[in-house]
Amino acid sequence: MSELAVAMFAAETGAHLLAAPASRRYEAFARSFDEADCRRQLAGRGIRWVARRDDGYPARLRSIHDPPIGLFIRGAASLELLDRPSVAIVGARACSPYGSEVGTTFARRLAGAGVVVVSGLARGVDAAAHRGALATGVTVAVLGCGIDRDYPIAHASLAAEIEANGLIVSEYPPGVEPAPWRFPARNRIVAGLADATVVVEARARSGALITADFALEEGREVLAVPGEITSHLSAGSNALLRLGATPATDASDVLEAIGIESATAVVSEGRPADLSATAEAVKTLVADAPVGVDEIVRRTGLGASEVSAALVELELHALVTEAEGVYRGVIRPA
Amino acid sequence: MLARTVTHALVGLYPRRVEVEAHLQRGAPAFTIVGLADRACQEAKHRVRSGITSAELEWPRSRLTVNLAPAGLRKEGSGFDVPIALAVLAASGQLPADALAGHAAIGELALDGRLRPVPGALVAAEGARRAGLDRVVCAAESGAEVALAGIEPVPVPHLAEAVAYLRGLRDPPPAHAPPEPCPPPAHGPDLRDVRGQERARRALEIAAAGGHNLLLAGPPGTGKTMLARRLPGILPVLDDEGALEVTRIHSVAGVLPSGAGLVRLPPFRAPHHSASTAAIVGGGGGSGGPHVGEATLAHRGVLFLDELPEFARAALESLRQPLEDGLVTVVRVAGRATFPARFQLVATMNLCPCGARGVPGAACACSAQRLQQHRERLSRALLDRFDLALTVPRSRGEELAALPGEGSEPVRERVEAARQRLAAGAPPLSSPADALLTRAVERLPLSGRGRARVATVAATVAALSACDNVGVEHLAEALSYRAPQELTA
Repeated sequence: MSELAVAMFAAETGAHLLAAPASRRYEAFARSFDEADCRRQLAGRGIRWVARRDDGYPARLRSIHDPPIGLFIRGAASLELLDRPSVAIVGARACSPYGSEVGTTFARRLAGAGVVVVSGLARGVDAAAHRGALATGVTVAVLGCGIDRDYPIAHASLAAEIEANGLIVSEYPPGVEPAPWRFPARNRIVAGLADATVVVEARARSGALITADFALEEGREVLAVPGEITSHLSAGSNALLRLGATPATDASDVLEAIGIESATAVVSEGRPADLSATAEAVKTLVADAPVGVDEIVRRTGLGASEVSAALVELELHALVTEAEGVYRGVIRPA
Repeated sequence: MLARTVTHALVGLYPRRVEVEAHLQRGAPAFTIVGLADRACQEAKHRVRSGITSAELEWPRSRLTVNLAPAGLRKEGSGFDVPIALAVLAASGQLPADALAGHAAIGELALDGRLRPVPGALVAAEGARRAGLDRVVCAAESGAEVALAGIEPVPVPHLAEAVAYLRGLRDPPPAHAPPEPCPPPAHGPDLRDVRGQERARRALEIAAAGGHNLLLAGPPGTGKTMLARRLPGILPVLDDEGALEVTRIHSVAGVLPSGAGLVRLPPFRAPHHSASTAAIVGGGGGSGGPHVGEATLAHRGVLFLDELPEFARAALESLRQPLEDGLVTVVRVAGRATFPARFQLVATMNLCPCGARGVPGAACACSAQRLQQHRERLSRALLDRFDLALTVPRSRGEELAALPGEGSEPVRERVEAARQRLAAGAPPLSSPADALLTRAVERLPLSGRGRARVATVAATVAALSACDNVGVEHLAEALSYRAPQELTA
């Protein structure tokens, strides 16, 4: 049996196939299929193909109950990357600034500790995770469409950065259009490639919860980042916690879950900064809870201009971030 | 018999001398107007005829031809009624032959012979003054406007009075002194009404002092529009030259209140977001060439675009030229015109299409795609033109219960002082500030254009604190008003 023939046939007929079907149509297709030519064409476009029975096929993915029959892969890294310790970071596409900040920070820490960060190249938390990981390490993106597509197109440059020293994988050959049903199928690969899945922000019925379900079915660790109980964007992730998911309040929680010693692995980022007195006072306030400039003005009695200047000083030291007019402290290792 | 009066047509914002010739000859009674007159101008026939009859003057019973020279220039509007009527009266011997010498005329006639004001009287009067004429016969309401041009107006309410004056039966009306150049007391809404919003108030003050473009983002109901509408109240009043320029533009566009003198307050224009490109930068106008748009009406004042992403993209992009050059050039089949458009752009926007983003505890129903589309409606190039951008969070209850804020008056005084300082030369960047700026460019998302803008804003902040050079604190504050990352990511 040629796995490549099955994958190409599945793409052509729009079916989801994990093995060769017993149909006359497939037999006719397989007879006329020229595997060597197909491989040449893929190689010409810089795409690798690894079948389920090949040695290079990621072991973790092979062990799930419906592993893809093979993977199309592009990117500069070797396939061995897919067998390194790895964590999936997933969450809402329309995430809040909090979600995007947490996704970026976790991914940066995990990648810095040598963990491969896996996600789905979608908007929101996915993109934040890829970007965070790119800053300190490598990352893998799993597509829900043909391997040659950058979907969404707005992430084409992000995809190019991922390819430069990571991998982009898909179970679909070039030319396959994105379709709604392919994304849950993609999520099983995201969960399957990772030792643990971290749900950062998810609504009550979110694709990220599908990924978490797959991970649970395969007995992988699922962690969820606690969110505000009043925020709809955290309803799904908080529900996971209620069901017994491990709370992730720091990247070290994740490292611990996959058995990596965090104390040695986490790289310390930055020295205590030399701050002005105003900046120190403002920093203490922001560390308590996300807050706007006007409230800082009211609580400190400082002028709006001094507070604004102090916040820029803190931003330059990467101690606070601003989004939607609200400043919040950056999560740092204790 | 032939008689002539002089008037001035508007070409864009400029006057062009037009001679109105009336010629009577023997033949069956008829009335023809030639010389590229548009429809409103052709209809002058009926108004002039009724007006002359109503003034108990005689309508000539012979063949009458009126020529508007130069014949190649398109004439539009009803301002030719009065010059045509006077030329007809002179040609038919009802006015002394030399009575019209040294006079220009402008105005529309009512069927009962009254004179009505027309747009652009100021520009026409300036043309008359430059042509060396002495007086302008105009509607009573246009008297003040004509006087601003530095020429003596003959404001008359009725055609019969114009005739009485030209026959020498009546003294010319007393020469009007141009209205007092004192700032009018009414400055519009006051900043006192805004409670809380310390940061936004500060940004508004900096924008006023430096003439910077300002973008206010944030959920609905945070007072973005309320703040923006209070900007004209803290701007310095226009100087003489500026006031005349603005008055001229508003006169041509017909938005000048009748009987008003010079426009002393910086204009504030707030076109609705359904406005077309032609409405924003000018254009259209059919036969008479392009008309001025909101960008020109906001010249030396504020152009306020509420709900910025709701504007048509083409309309927004068309603002890039005036934002850069202070001019708009409009090219149409009917002609080409360049209008001044040096305005301060102030805009507001929601953080997402449904408006819930940025409100604590509210659920934003926008999908990732809709959010993306909302952001993509504004090009990077346009966002780069906002010198100050900030997100205005929703005020809390305690803030709304706070005492009224500082009023507009003291803020305007600070703004005026800062403007004087800046006029003497922008404060230079101190070396620690320069080092900070370099570090910020590396760490924060700032484009090359952004660096220059931050430095300019920092100079304004320094001028507001009456400092001779830009310190670290000024630069840091300026950096805090860069475009919010959720708009630029």
